[in-house]
Order: sequence, then C-alpha cells, then structure tokens
Amino acid sequence: METRPLGETGHESTITTFGAIALNWLEQDGANQMVEAVLDAGVNHFDVAPTYGDAELKLGPKLRQHREEIFLGCKTGERDYDGARHKLERSLYRLGIDSIDLYQVHGLETQDELDTITSEGGALEAFREARDEGLVEHLGLTSHGDPDLIVDAIDRIDDLETVMFPLNPVVMARDDAEHDYEAVLERANEENIGTLVIKAFARGPWPDTDELPEEDRGYANWYQPVDRPDEIRERFEFAASQDVTSVVNPGDPKLVSMVLDAAERFEGMDESAQRSVMDAARHDDSPVPQQLHH
Amino acid sequence: MDVPETVRTALADRPVEGAVCLDAGAGVGNTTAGLLDAGARRVYTVTNDREHAEAVQERVGVAHRDRVVTVEGDLRETPLADDSVDLVAVHALFNVVPTAAFADIAAELTRVAKPGSHLVVDDYDPLPAEAAMRDLFAVENAAAELSGGESALTFYPAAMVRRCFTGEGWTFDGERTLLDPVPWTEDHVSAHADVAREAARTLPPKLADPLTAEIEATARAIGSESAGRMYSLAFRLPDEVGSG
Repeated sequence: METRPLGETGHESTITTFGAIALNWLEQDGANQMVEAVLDAGVNHFDVAPTYGDAELKLGPKLRQHREEIFLGCKTGERDYDGARHKLERSLYRLGIDSIDLYQVHGLETQDELDTITSEGGALEAFREARDEGLVEHLGLTSHGDPDLIVDAIDRIDDLETVMFPLNPVVMARDDAEHDYEAVLERANEENIGTLVIKAFARGPWPDTDELPEEDRGYANWYQPVDRPDEIRERFEFAASQDVTSVVNPGDPKLVSMVLDAAERFEGMDESAQRSVMDAARHDDSPVPQQLHH
Repeated sequence: MDVPETVRTALADRPVEGAVCLDAGAGVGNTTAGLLDAGARRVYTVTNDREHAEAVQERVGVAHRDRVVTVEGDLRETPLADDSVDLVAVHALFNVVPTAAFADIAAELTRVAKPGSHLVVDDYDPLPAEAAMRDLFAVENAAAELSGGESALTFYPAAMVRRCFTGEGWTFDGERTLLDPVPWTEDHVSAHADVAREAARTLPPKLADPLTAEIEATARAIGSESAGRMYSLAFRLPDEVGSG
C-alpha cells in the first residue's frame, strides 16, 4: 500500500489509517482477525481512543504482538493537565504498551477549550512532559469542529505534528467558511503538518430520530456512511487524491474491508473526475461541522 | 450561494474582475453567482424561462441589486446594445437549444460582445453509446418531438461548437474538461423523467401510454449514472475588427 510522509514525524504512513473504533463492535476473536486483516493489507498507522468503548482493550493483544509494525495514534478529550496525564496512563495500561507514537488532543470543539489546553496547567503541558519522559513521541490534534478553530490551533501550537479533520466532496462543494476544511489542509501543508482525514465516507446526517430511531440505524457511525463498494472506492480515491497524508476508515467494522481494498487499489483521481464527485454531492447535507448544543 | 466547481473552473483564468458580463441562459443562477463571486462589475442574466428569471432574481439578484440585471427574453434577440459586454458565459445552455436556434444565438452573443471580449461555452459532449442515460434522453426527445415538434435536448460536440464560434469571428483560446464523467444523479434522472412525462401528457393516449410506461421503466432502471463529458471552451474576440 502506498505510503506518504506524516508531516515531520519521520514516519511514512499508509494512505489509509485503521480507525480502531471498529473493534468496539467485535468480540475479541473478531477483533484479532480484523487487526490481522488490516496488517495483511499493509496498513501501518492505527488510531484509537479511550472513548471508543473497549476498543483499546480489544486492540491490545494484537498490538503487542505486532508492536513494531504499527504506528499508533491515541488521544484524550481531557483539556487540563491532570485529566490528560491520567487518561494517557490509563490508555497505556489498557493497551498494555510502554509508549504511544502519536498522542492527540481529541475532538477540539471550542475556542475556550483551545485556550485551556494551551495555557499553564493545560493538557498540552501533560503531553509535552510525557514526550520528555518517552511515553509519547509526537503531538497531534483532532477535530470535526469549525475549520477556523482548527487553523487557529495550528497557529497556536508550535510543536503540533499532525491534525485530523473532516474532508469529503460534500464539504468541499460548499463555499462558506463553516465548511472550509480545505483551509485547514492548506495551512497544515504550509506548516508541514501530517494530515489525517475523517468523514471521507460520510453520505450525510442520519434522518431525524422520529423518522429513524437510533437503534434502527444500519451502521454504528453517528453519520450515515456510503456503503457500496463503488461508492467507498470513489470516496477513497477522492479523499486520497487531495494533498493529504492518510484517510481513516469509517468506524463501523462492516465497512473496513471495502476501505482496505480501495486503499490497496488506489490509483489517483484526476481533477475533472474530482469535480464530478463534488458536483454529484453538491446538494447533499453535511454532518460536519457537528452542530453543538450546550 | 455556493458556486459549483464546474462554473468556478470554467471562469478560473478569465478576466471577470470588473467586467460587464452576460450570463446567457441563466438556469437557476449558478453562473451569475460564479461571475459575481469572481468580481464581475455587472451581470446581465438573460433567459427565456420566467421561472428561471425569477429564481435568479431571488437567489442572487436581490442581494446584488446594483450588479445583477435579470432579463426575461429571447437569446436570439436580446435588448443589449452592440459591443456592450466584456465577457459572455454560456454554461450548459446549448443542450436545451433547438438546432434551428443555435446559429442565431451564436450571432446575437457575438453582436453584444465588445472587441477584445471573452466568451466561455460549457456543455456536454454527446453521451457514449453504452450510457443508459441515452435511453432516457431518447424517450424524452421522442415525447418532445411528438408533442411540440422539437427535441428537448441536443448534445453539441465541443468541436462543432468551437467551429461555430470561430466562424462568428472568435479566436479559440483553449478547452478544458469540467466533468469526466458527468454525474447524472437521481435528481437529474427524475427531473428529465418529469420533462418527458409532461410532454407525453399532451399526446393522445395511444401514444402517451406506452411512452409514459417507457419513461417510468427507463428512469427506474437507471437510478443514477456517471457518464459522458462536460467541456469548457474559451474564446476571444479580436481587439480591432479588420477593415477588410
């Protein structure tokens, strides 16, 4: 599988990153098989979080068996020093490993949160300390919030090495600032920051829960994913043809093998075909940025 | 309003900034929106479709009263003065222009264009033989021909459009592919099926019934399809018209 430099980390990431949230919905045997299948496809970059049910625990056995083959990203949604330190130690314990390759600020949503993590006693202090101790190697950030906020975070965090954010034809067909994740990509590339794409396979938001109750949804994703092989392939081709490092699979385990196949067969999509995909998605609704209700 | 990538790409290297533009065949206002976004000083939007004229007025005209002039009129005979426009944009118009009107529209667009002005013509090449959408367009055209005596759709090849406008005195300035393949979404398919049904409805039942059945079956069988190519042709009018 094709690899690309992950910013200045020195790691060459495969063009697809395994989003290990998929393991949450599998029993341990199934989880082990999925990790083997992912490695067989050549994937070398995994991503997990403590908030993905028991995905960390289920990833553990195969992660330890194949530790050298896997560049592991993990993250924390804690914003202050103590919370972040605690969650890092807990993730190391649950994963059963000594160090994490990439530790990320998880799901940045507001300017206040950015202020908190960057201030004294904030999460980044814990990240940096852990880096000095060798518990983590690189620092990153993930968000499906406002593009402006992510760009601001890139500008304010000098030692940020990766950023994970949404990119798909639905948001790229939109011109307004609210959907301008292309600005994030551009800024990240100027700074030589590795770029990890999420929501590449989002078809749109789920219908209203009155119309379709949550328990009647066909997939575990909080958005409605594309789910046909040709659509998955088209979305992968589209996302990986942007100037990005790697594309994360949708979280539902039923979709993972189709993404692996698309990544192994990646050819690159020319601009007229990219416009074709964007044009077809022009009137679709977007699940990102997520509407936040507090 | 979001500007489609096709429009943005077609106008990308054209001198729209500060220009007086003509959007020939406005559609729902995408091209006018693209021209405004690219900095047009004024856009004349001419369409013979009242609903389209109203849609453009509502979507972009109201917000840019000083820059958009919506004209409901015939593109073979616009109220614009000779040599009054710096840039003419013809986005996805000709496929709905009957063959009999093509040359007259080309002449009219040339009449209103200033010496040295620019022209962009975007449209679809004829679909490849294996495209299922051809079947829908065929039955749509059959219904339209039987009903009103004219085809609903004609796909003029890029080479033919190019020759027509160079024949009017324009200098060819480049071609690019906007879409390849063209995404005919479920919305497009159902919109074309609606046009076809509408035409069939005017026919005696002996013709209307089998046509309508064929329209339904064809649209259902297609669902959606990506096929064909959308091109963009750029032209310039020479600065000075020769005295010969």
